[in-house]
Order: sequence, then structure tokens, then C-alpha cells
Amino acid sequence: MSRKYSITENGAEKSKLKKFLQKDFSQFIVFAVPMIFLAIFLLYPLAITLVRAFWRPDSFNFKFTGWSLEGFEQFFTTKLYLRSLRNSIVLSVSVTLLTLVIGVPMGYCVARVKIPGKKLLVSLGILPIIMPSFVGAYTWVILLGNKGVLRAAINWFISPFGITIPSIYGMFGMILAMTLTYFPFVFQMSYGAVSSANALLEEAAMLMGAKRSYIMRTITLPLIIPSLGAAALLVFVRAIGNFGIPAVVGGNNYVLPTLISFAYQGDGDINFASTISLINVLITGLVLYVQKYVVAKREYETISATHTDIKLHESLGARLFASIFCLIILIFSLLPQVTIIVMSFFRNWTGLLPVGFTFENYLSIPKNSSKEMFNSFFLSISATVMCAVFGSILAYIAERKKPKGAALLDMSIMAPFILPGTVVSIALLSAFGANSIFKMTGTYAILLISYMIRRTPYVYRSVSANLTQLNPSLEEASTISGATWFYTFRRVSVPLIMPAIISGSVMTLTTLLQELSTTILLYGPKTRTVPIQIYNKVLENNLGQASALSTILLIVVFTIIYGMNSRKGSDVSSALKM
Amino acid sequence: MSKIVRYEKVNKIYAEGTKNAVHALKDVSFSINEGELFCLLGPSGCGKTTLLRSTAGLENISSGKMYYGDVDISTIPPYKRNIGMVFQSFALYPHMTIFENVAYGLRVRKVPNDVVTKKVTEVMELVGLQEELKRNPSPTALSGGQQQRVAIARALVYDPDVLLLDEPLANLDAKLRRYMRAEIRRIQKATNITTIFVTHDQEEAMAVGDRLAVFRKGVVEQIGTSDELYNQPANAFVANFIGKMNFFNSHVVSTSAKSVEVEIDTTGIKIEIPKERTHAEVKNGDEVLIGGRPEHLTVSKEQSKNSIPGKVRIIQHLGSFIRYEVEVKGSISPVTFEIDMNSLQKDIHEGDMVNVSFDSERVAMFSPKGREI
Repeated sequence: MSRKYSITENGAEKSKLKKFLQKDFSQFIVFAVPMIFLAIFLLYPLAITLVRAFWRPDSFNFKFTGWSLEGFEQFFTTKLYLRSLRNSIVLSVSVTLLTLVIGVPMGYCVARVKIPGKKLLVSLGILPIIMPSFVGAYTWVILLGNKGVLRAAINWFISPFGITIPSIYGMFGMILAMTLTYFPFVFQMSYGAVSSANALLEEAAMLMGAKRSYIMRTITLPLIIPSLGAAALLVFVRAIGNFGIPAVVGGNNYVLPTLISFAYQGDGDINFASTISLINVLITGLVLYVQKYVVAKREYETISATHTDIKLHESLGARLFASIFCLIILIFSLLPQVTIIVMSFFRNWTGLLPVGFTFENYLSIPKNSSKEMFNSFFLSISATVMCAVFGSILAYIAERKKPKGAALLDMSIMAPFILPGTVVSIALLSAFGANSIFKMTGTYAILLISYMIRRTPYVYRSVSANLTQLNPSLEEASTISGATWFYTFRRVSVPLIMPAIISGSVMTLTTLLQELSTTILLYGPKTRTVPIQIYNKVLENNLGQASALSTILLIVVFTIIYGMNSRKGSDVSSALKM
Repeated sequence: MSKIVRYEKVNKIYAEGTKNAVHALKDVSFSINEGELFCLLGPSGCGKTTLLRSTAGLENISSGKMYYGDVDISTIPPYKRNIGMVFQSFALYPHMTIFENVAYGLRVRKVPNDVVTKKVTEVMELVGLQEELKRNPSPTALSGGQQQRVAIARALVYDPDVLLLDEPLANLDAKLRRYMRAEIRRIQKATNITTIFVTHDQEEAMAVGDRLAVFRKGVVEQIGTSDELYNQPANAFVANFIGKMNFFNSHVVSTSAKSVEVEIDTTGIKIEIPKERTHAEVKNGDEVLIGGRPEHLTVSKEQSKNSIPGKVRIIQHLGSFIRYEVEVKGSISPVTFEIDMNSLQKDIHEGDMVNVSFDSERVAMFSPKGREI
């Protein structure tokens, strides 16, 4: 061995300190920065929230009055609060079940029945992220409200049977709006699971004498249960954390997120808001536990290795049923979008039909909402860029270097994924609110931080999923050629994981443009965003302007997603999985 | 109950009527005897798997008829055909234990529980998994060979009329593959179920099958026992697919009632081939191929009557025999010959000039068409 190139020979003579310094610490430093960020802006606020829930320090000078369960006592003895808890549970459970009832058959139909327009149906999956959910809810008020055109039509049809549609304000409206908002998640995931299932397993069953329905019951369904579990969790977490829909159509039916918001904004009682947040998190945590340890345990490797095409159902009955079923759902999910676009050209729509055709709704935007427009784009784009950088570096180091504490990192990053937006806001307010040392309320910074905390999981998950499929030898080859980890990351890994970064970022950007549930508690007069503006216009009953703003968001988001979908290899759904 | 399987002019055309139409099976007609272990052999894309899947009912044939016994099953759906099938990837259910995997076909048939237990136990004993059945793990916890046995047990447990094996050994390592093919033969003989075994490995097919059908491009080239296929190949393709054969471009010089005399192109060497080894009707001047198996050729330094000069390129010591690769000028371009001999010629080294001679009794003659694989 040539002495000139030997590293170890000299190393033995060097002092311990020198040896220590010789190590490559860059990756630990890069790793530490986001960790510290998470510690300050996620773990610390969550800890403060816990403290507030149990010790109930004085709201103004944070003086401890001792451990107490007073908040919980108050919660569990007051009728209003108990009813909200029950509403939340009833709402999330029924929405989860309904999305399964709609999404699973639809996924199966599109994957396994010969029907036209499959591509169109699959792209339905982008509909829920294309419009703020509370705007969707409001369109149902227009269509199914007391004088709504759809209510009149349906009632005319079903009233002979002695039934009428219940009031849109309340549980019915919330369940309807949320189900239609969230079923595409279940649809997408069950479609993916059914169409990628190993066809041989079903063929084997068929040869053993089993008929379609028996195979479906004993083979197809049991094998996709883990995917359905993941989809159900996704829906449940979103349903229980959704603020916009209950705020718009809930009427006097409070749910936990609206209760949190009103406890904080109405009564200014952040301690009690913390208590409710904790209860909210506990429910989500319990459901997550069930999903992780009961359902996900039964995950199997069923992806087909051979390329046998799965036989499609071709009987007329199956095709007719599938087509009609999918068509009805397609129409219902497109109705809110259509309604909003129509509404944006009218002054009002309180009766059967909209009245007063006008362009004023759009023309007044520069005057009324230019600041909100700027805020929304500025905040969303900056947060997305930071999420993309943070998320991909963190995913890379956690996945490839497997440092100590990677599990903690994984948990910290993914925690906000299941925390309702209002809870994240309450946590941040607990730590950095009006009476804390670092007062950040009403600043751009606190919104940016909350966005980053809540959306980094998208890029992180998308990239780590991609990395696990990427052969490490590609990177090893670069290391052996003499490249440092960062050079390898820059020149080899990033180009390869680019599709994942892009899909994660698009997911981040498009959801941030419509963010309401975090922003609603954190915004100040200077930092109002478009969704806040829309929400306020809806509350003011200024439907025209709300619709015009929504339509603009809709077009922007659609353009971004369409642009990404036409790029090969990018797939939004990888950012959704947990 | 074991059955005869019979094919009558079976055709399968994928994407029929379009530009991309593929004629995967062309007028396939033959029959498989009751209780026979029959191999479908051929290179990939030859149609053997298509025929197997059509037999199972997983593919619909475009025309023709298929019979189990006297029953036309061409249009009967797969779940009514009463067949067992073992897939290349085994297709075991990861969400069921091995007992439930094997019991599946019985459960479908609504067999009472005590009978299910009895039959599963019996069949697991037959495939040699009685110990594993006691622990009853998920199939994913088993080794490849054990998974294979579960798959076979699952296909046998409900006494199918026909057992179909689709490249069942392809996912196993070489040693296990040799062991399992003997096992499959043992189990098949014990149950006496008519069995169709698809493989692309000629050695495997010859070791396992009672009879073999060699497929090429959707056509059955030859059917016979391994001995018949090896010693009396119907054409150059079969000759080179079942074992190895060295070919010479030649032309016919003269014909008689008992033999045909051919001259190897560009060498002037003439060979007389007995009529029973000529697999083509020929007249003087016709182009033909003559072929000799590696073990029927010899190399030596001496020249003899029918020998062709060549240069030794490689000598491989393969244990029971020595393979010489000799470059000879037998046709337009130089051809490498493989010659297997039982003993080493001490005076022959790589690079030496030698003479290749052959046993004219064992040389075969074919029409020059269809030499390619």
C-alpha cells in the first residue's frame, strides 16, 4: 500500500481530540437545525399546552396555582362541551364510515369493472384539495338550504314517501359536506390497493372453485384491509380536526375544533382551549394506536411480481351498476365547484336561482383583497420552499444515515400530521401568545412556523417513501468515488428523488393556499389570508365575493396540480400516506 | 377422478382483429393420458403458458375445443372445472395460516369441518409437511421449498381432475429444484392425477415428464418421451432444444433406398446417413443440415475418413466429461463446435489444430428450415 494515500496510518498518532475533529460533522449539524426548530416550535409549545391544561396558570402572568383537573371537570360536567365531544365523535365516525361505503366500492368498480372514463374518475382524487372544504360546505347551503334548488327538487321527489331532507345546518350538513370532501382519499387508496393486488391470488382461488363474491370476501377484501385502515385513519384525523365545515354549516352544533376556537377567541381562555385540545389529541391518538397496532400489523406484501392483467368484470349488470354509481358520485362531487363558479358571477343566490349577473365580484378583488392575495401567496410559497428543503434533507438523513434519534425525529415530524390545525395553533399561542416572553401573535413568522410544522410531513413522507425504493448502491457508488455525503445528496440523490420532492411540495403549496383551521387562530390584521377573507365574506353573507375569491383559488390550485400531473413520475398520493 | 385431457385445433389470438394481434397458439391438437405427467416445454413466449392458462380457463381460447374426459370444457368457467394449479410464485395467501391456505378449496366446496381437518392432514403428510402443520404458521414464515409444498398440497386437497403446474420450480435454487422435481414426480405418481407441467428447462422436463410436448411460436413441434425426443428429434429446433446439437450446412449428393449421401459445404467431406435418421424428404442438390450431438463427436490429432479440421479454442473440465470447443470451417463463417468426451486427450491443448470426426450412425439430417430457436 502506498504511504501517500494512507489515512489510517497517520490517524493512529493523532490525539483523540484531533481524531474527533476529523470526523465529518456536517450531517449532524444539518440534522440538528431542524431538530432544534422542532423542539422550539413543536415540542415546547405542546409541553406548554399540557401545562396549561393541567396547571391552569393565570392567563396574564403565567403564575401557577397548582395542579388541577378543574378544566377537565368543567369539560365533562357541562352539557354544551359534552355535546360537542359527542358531536365530534359522531361526526368523525360517520364520515369515516360513509367515505368507506362510498370510496371502497368506487375504487373497486374503477379498478375492476370495464367502464368508460376511468381516467376522469381517478383524477377525482384531486377534487378535495382543490377547494377549501368550508367553501364546499357553503355551496351545500346554497343548494340544500331552506330555499335551495336541490332541496326543492329532491323533496318533490321524495316527499310522497313522507320524508324530507333535514336542515342543512347541523349534523346532516356537516356529514354531507365532509363525506364528499374526504371520500376521494378512500377512493384513491382503495383503487390503488385493488388495482395493484396480486392477480394470481384471485386466480388461484377461482381455480379452487371459488366464485367472484366468495373471492371478494375471502381474498380481495382481507388483503386490502391495511390500505383501507390507513385511508380510514386519514379521513378520521381530518374529519375530527376540520374547523371550516362545522363553522359554516354546524349551526349551534359545536365540535371540538370550533369549541377550541370559540374558547380562545370568544372567552380568551387559552387554558380551557388547551384542555379541549388535549382531549381532541387523545381521541386522535387512540384511533392512531388502533390503526397502527391492529390494522397495520396485518400488512402483507401483495404487490404483484408478474404482469398478469387482472380480469375485469364485463357483465352488463356489473358495468351498468358501476357506471351509474360512479356517475352519481362524480356529479355530487362536482356540484360544489360548479355552484361556486356560477355564484361568482352573481350578486346573490338565496332562492332557487342566482340573481343579478355581474362581474363586480371579480373587479372588486384588487380593491378589497389585494393584501390578502399577497399574504396568501407570499406565506404559502415561502413555507413550501422551506418545507421542501427541510423535509427532503431530514428524510434523506433519517432514511439513509439512520442517526440516533431518527425514531424521535420521525415521530416529531409526523405528529402535526395527526394534530388538528386548531390544536397546533393553540400550542403555538400557549408558547408564543400575548403574554409570553417571545410575543409572536399576528406576525408573519408565527404563520410561517405553523405552516412549516404542519406541512413538512408531506415532503418528508413523500421523499422517504421514494428513498426506500431507491437502490442505495447508487449513492454508495458516489461515496466510493470520493464524494462527501452532501455532494452525493446534491448530485445523485436530489435528482433521483425530485419527483417526490415536487409532489410533496405541490401538496404543501395547494393545501396551504386554502389553509383555514390554523390561520383562523393565528392571523392578525396584517396577516389576513385569502381563506380568512373568504370565511369572513361567507359569515357576512357576501357570497359573490367569497365565490369569486374561491374561484380564483380553485383555478390557481388546479393549474398547479394539472401542471404537476403532466410531469411524468410525480404522484400526489405518495405524500398522503402515513 | 383423473381424466384424459384433449385439445382439438386450439387457437389463441391476443388482441384479435387489431394491428398488435399475436397468434399465441396455432391449431394445437394432442391428448394427454389419464394419470400422465405431461410436460409442456419451450422457450419463453412459445405459447406453453398460454395453453396451460387456457386449460385452467384463465384465458379464453379463440377457437378449437378442449376436453376433460368426454366433457367439452372450452367455455366452462374456471371455478367449475375442478382443477388444481400451482403457480410459479406459489400465490399463497399471506393473510391465512398454511392450514387455511390448504383448506381453501374444501371450504369453497362447503366440506364439513372434520373432513377438512382429515383431508388437510392427509395431504400435508403426502407433501411432507406434517410437522409444519402442527405449528401452523403463516406461509410467509416458510422457506421456498416448504411454500412450494403448501402450494402443491393446496392444489391437491380437493382431488382435482387435472393438476396444472406453471413453472413450479423457477423460484427455487438449483439444488432444491432438483430435489423438488423428484418430489413432484413422487407425489404425482402417488395421487395419479393427470398433470400438466410447464417449464422452459429441458433438463427439468426430461427428468419429470412421462411425455413432453415441445412448443415453438405457438406450434407443437414434437411430442414424445424424453428418450424419443433426444434420440429421434423431429427437426433441427427440437434437436437443439432437447440437448445440444452441432449443425453443418450441407447438400445432398445422392440418395438410395437405404441411405442419403451428403457433402458438408466447403469441406468436400461426404457422409452416408441411414434413411431412418433423415428427417426430411430430399432429392439430389437439396440444402440440408446435418447434426451431431456433442457426445457423438470425437477430436483427435489424426485424420480419418469423415473428419473435419479445426482449431481448439477452449477445453472445459466438467467433471464427468471434458468439453472441447473447436472452431471448424464447416460453412461460410467459422462455427464453434461443442464436443463432449469421456476422457482427456493428453496431447491436445488449447490452440492446437485437430480433426473432428463423427459417428455416421448417429448423425441426423434435417431440412434447413427452422434451425433457429
